[in-house]
Amino acid sequence: MMKARNAIALAASLVLLLVAIPFGIQASGRADLYYTLTSVALLSIISAGVWLTFYIGRINIGQGAYALMGGYVSAVLVTRYGFSFWLTLPLAGLFCAAASVLIGLPILRLRGVYFAMVTLVLTEVARLLALALPITNGAKGIVSIPLPGAVRIFGLTLIPDFATLENPRLAFYIMAVIAMVLCFVGMYRLVNSRIGHLCQSLQQNEELASSIGVDIARLRVIAYAISSFLGGFGGAIFASITQSIYPSSFTVADSVNFMLNCFLGGLSYVFGPILGTFVLYFGWDILYSFGDFQLLIFSIILIALMLVLPNGLFSLRLSRSRGEVTQ
Amino acid sequence: MEQVVVNGLYLGAQYALIALGLTLIFALMNVLNFAHGQMYVLGGFVTYTIYGQMKLPFVLALVCSGLTLAVVGAFCEKFLFRPVIRRSKRDESTMLLAAAIAFLLDAVILLLFGEKQRGVPKIINGVFLSDTIVMPYDRIVVGVVAIVMIATFVLYMQYSKTGRAMRALAQDRVAAQLMGVNVERYSMIGFALGAMLAGVVGGLLVTITGISSGIGGPISIKAFMMVMIGGAGVVGGAIAGGFILGMMESVGLTVLREFGDITYLVIFVCLMVFLSIRPNGLMGKPWG
Amino acid sequence: MSDILAVSSLTKRYGGLVAVKDVSFSVREKEILSVIGPNGAGKSTLFKLISSFVTPTSGEVRFRGERISGLAPHQAARKGVVRTFQETTIFKAMTVRDNVIAAHHLRSRASLAGFFFGTRLARQDEEEFGRSADEILTFLGLSAMRSEIASNLPHGHLRALGIAIGLATNPAVILLDEPFAGMNHEETQRAVEIVRGVRERGVTVLLVEHDMPAVMTISDRIVVLNFGQKIAEGTPQEIKDNPAVIEAYLGVEDESIGL
Repeated sequence: MMKARNAIALAASLVLLLVAIPFGIQASGRADLYYTLTSVALLSIISAGVWLTFYIGRINIGQGAYALMGGYVSAVLVTRYGFSFWLTLPLAGLFCAAASVLIGLPILRLRGVYFAMVTLVLTEVARLLALALPITNGAKGIVSIPLPGAVRIFGLTLIPDFATLENPRLAFYIMAVIAMVLCFVGMYRLVNSRIGHLCQSLQQNEELASSIGVDIARLRVIAYAISSFLGGFGGAIFASITQSIYPSSFTVADSVNFMLNCFLGGLSYVFGPILGTFVLYFGWDILYSFGDFQLLIFSIILIALMLVLPNGLFSLRLSRSRGEVTQ
Repeated sequence: MEQVVVNGLYLGAQYALIALGLTLIFALMNVLNFAHGQMYVLGGFVTYTIYGQMKLPFVLALVCSGLTLAVVGAFCEKFLFRPVIRRSKRDESTMLLAAAIAFLLDAVILLLFGEKQRGVPKIINGVFLSDTIVMPYDRIVVGVVAIVMIATFVLYMQYSKTGRAMRALAQDRVAAQLMGVNVERYSMIGFALGAMLAGVVGGLLVTITGISSGIGGPISIKAFMMVMIGGAGVVGGAIAGGFILGMMESVGLTVLREFGDITYLVIFVCLMVFLSIRPNGLMGKPWG
Repeated sequence: MSDILAVSSLTKRYGGLVAVKDVSFSVREKEILSVIGPNGAGKSTLFKLISSFVTPTSGEVRFRGERISGLAPHQAARKGVVRTFQETTIFKAMTVRDNVIAAHHLRSRASLAGFFFGTRLARQDEEEFGRSADEILTFLGLSAMRSEIASNLPHGHLRALGIAIGLATNPAVILLDEPFAGMNHEETQRAVEIVRGVRERGVTVLLVEHDMPAVMTISDRIVVLNFGQKIAEGTPQEIKDNPAVIEAYLGVEDESIGL
């Protein structure tokens, strides 16, 4: 019953994302929307990582560091070593996950505001490293990254070369949307399986969790590694879309935004990051027409939202229809 | 060498004042004030307007910087943080609010004062020269004023009725309430005081380094680092953290110059190693 | 009866302060052993030492001959030594039943990845945990409020939930931290029955407690601490007659210590 409902919901969202929206965009001729929606999809993947660290009770303002790292790993592998982009995608994610294990082992012992501040600093460290290291080419960054190439198995073209496509924007959109759906199906499964229980036990009381035999240090690192994987993965695709990566591609402001996306969607709701990212990104875009007042209006709306809905946008719908669900 | 130490002390005194405000707000409300750097910038621009543009006395400008920020801080606490803390399910929501306030202040500053770097006339001309030290007089004045303010703040927290009430509040909110401390009132005073400190430092430093709208974020990050070094929510920790960071920056800029702009990278890495050994900083209490 | 837990020469110093000094005793299989003592006698430090939440300065705790001091708390729990907490240490935002289900962690046979992909073993585990949680909740009289959010439970039931969480781990030894604290006579009676029931499930019980009358009725043996040192050990009757114990409690109202 539950399963059938989930399958229908999944199929419906796939149809919406892969058929209805492209059709609508084609009809309206607003091809620029592809880029916007692709960005939303990718940013929500990166934000999903932040959400997961929230889920184990840690405030993560360091996701920008991993997005930047992932972008550079992919860019360096493609431009210097001639790797296929498609291979660098998982490699970028895994590189970030491995780095996050090394970084996470000491810093995940910190809690609350301490962890938040350290991760914030981490974003700065990543930016400064990108400026200082020889392989990242300093402030000039890495530019003219080739578009993703073709993937063929036994002469059968699975993925065409993006450079030969008539509309690479659509291709990126489809890729980002599929990645987003996969990511959130995974997140949904994670949260609704026993692992979700364990993560919640960490969030609510680490001492008690360890008394019932949960290896809290290990679980924390695992969750953080998954989170960083998502950051690196998303960052790598971004670098490929913009065909460039600079030390300033992901900064502290981006790290803060990833966190805001989660807050805005609501920390209790696994799909919160999608909604939060969508609203924040489009809200920002729509306010563009206000020119100099864009940031002012944006921040006022943000503050107002906090005052009216301190528990996120999703809390609105859920508290009306079926009451509060778990935190 | 002496030059490096003196530079470090001068920087450290400014930093310590900024960190004191941040740590005070954190101790009282458990709020990490993301907007602290922006409050500093706003303070700088108030002094710029009154002293630099309107040519009124510097002291008056500095007082106005402090008062403006005190009002802004009190307003934020009463109308923004208080209702959100009351209604939110999770403590972290205040972070979103603080970040949004940082955006708001950034926007206001940008609209009122523009993007340009602004400076004001020196408050005192001349340079102090000795065998080993070169120090402009205005820096000496600013450094001394900052140290006097730190001392005043510590004494105020230690001996005044308000200071004692705020310390009780920082130790244990519930217990303080039971003892009859007016929690809401002192939270507001504390927030105002913390914001005021940021504003005053902004006003002081505008005379040396000038001010521009974009530096709020970096200042906040520095303030976070100082608080982490010393330990969040501890007055002594904030002062220690401020001076340590000032000293490290001063030493780093001298020693690491030949390797390029990596002082902050080194400081960050040191900080992360340090925190993995002492998670609560030099004197912090365990959190959570 | 064989010894399941052996505490030998356990010492814990905090700076210059000695919280527990050279304490030795052993716990026998399936007995109820209580540790008592006046305030500040080092009971709760001893409790944390045995459950591996604190590492001893010297001495050790052995569980079935195996050293558990110095292990992480979750490793001690894995061996079978599980503690409960005094007050409201529960998973506040979960339902009562989810609290207990979450606590079945040590019984899972499937791996984390197995749970993620929903393998057959994982599904069996989840089913089994649900059944077992219901059984434990019934045993502790909590089944009526299984869907309640844990933080909404009344006080006495919170204590029971704490024990339910402990039992879910399938412990060999359960350490109860002041299970009768702050209870009135009637509630204490019920709690005493629960503790007896826990032992009847084959679990060895070690409890730290203030409430003397309850301790006297429930314990097989009692260890008395004062100023961090063991001053007496024996059956309730022996403890009652021990002059050193009476000395330690001097100044305390006779009735309140049940003498």
